[in-house]
Amino acid sequence: MTDQNALDELPGDLLMWVLIISELLVFGAGLIVFLSVRITDPAGFAEAQNSLDRTGAAINTIVLITSGFLAALAINLRRSGKRGGARVSLVGAAVLGGAFLWIKGLEFASKAASDIVWDTHPFFNFYFLLTGFHAAHVAAGVILLLLVAWRDHVDNIEDATAFWHMVDLIWVLLFPVVYLLQ
Amino acid sequence: MTRRSLYIALAMLVLLSLGSTLLSLSGIWARWPVAAAVVVMALAWQKARIILGKYLGLVQAPGWQRGFDVALTGYCLLLLGLYLAPLGEIVRMILPRLRGL
Repeated sequence: MTDQNALDELPGDLLMWVLIISELLVFGAGLIVFLSVRITDPAGFAEAQNSLDRTGAAINTIVLITSGFLAALAINLRRSGKRGGARVSLVGAAVLGGAFLWIKGLEFASKAASDIVWDTHPFFNFYFLLTGFHAAHVAAGVILLLLVAWRDHVDNIEDATAFWHMVDLIWVLLFPVVYLLQ
Repeated sequence: MTRRSLYIALAMLVLLSLGSTLLSLSGIWARWPVAAAVVVMALAWQKARIILGKYLGLVQAPGWQRGFDVALTGYCLLLLGLYLAPLGEIVRMILPRLRGL
């Protein structure tokens, strides 16, 4: 098999895969550094982590994976010619993305109300950096989903939903490391 | 990807997410932190595999899926190792004292 054939096997746009792998490497490195710094102060990290709302983050996980499902359903519907259904699914995915950001906003607001800021403890450096950077990607993804619900060419939907699944994928790795590993 | 397989993927993802959260909220972590961490990372690994395979469509490209599987497995093991590293330090501190008893 030639290199050309191997690349042709990849579903969707090759450049989108380059973006997905690049983003995974960035967030992946962030999580590695987070756990490496934790080695120097596991008790302090555990104490800081206990101030997080694990239930809220779990609800956000369900919200995001359901949104990912709607995005996957949208491309399925669009390929079978059901443009209206695909648009409804894309808007539904975007609305759930908005709900994720709203819950994340409440979480950040509760930290601010408790006088917890980015330099309260090294844990919060990483917490705000990683979850904030991820939330920025969610915001970008919501805009993309709404754009392709309007300009609903199948290639556009493929690219936007691939981006959305990348955001989903990053969260399922970030969530246990930042919120659950005690 | 059929619609049925998308629904199955969603159900699996929800179940795996609930599993890891319930484990975190239960008292299991205080008693068996290593086992709890292994299970939580295994659940995260499986969720990531579902998203890559079913949602991003790698199930249609088995060669690429195997490559991503290997990278993802190595990465999750690295994260687990970094999480467990301080526990190893505690064991190293305690062992000489135990030998002295």
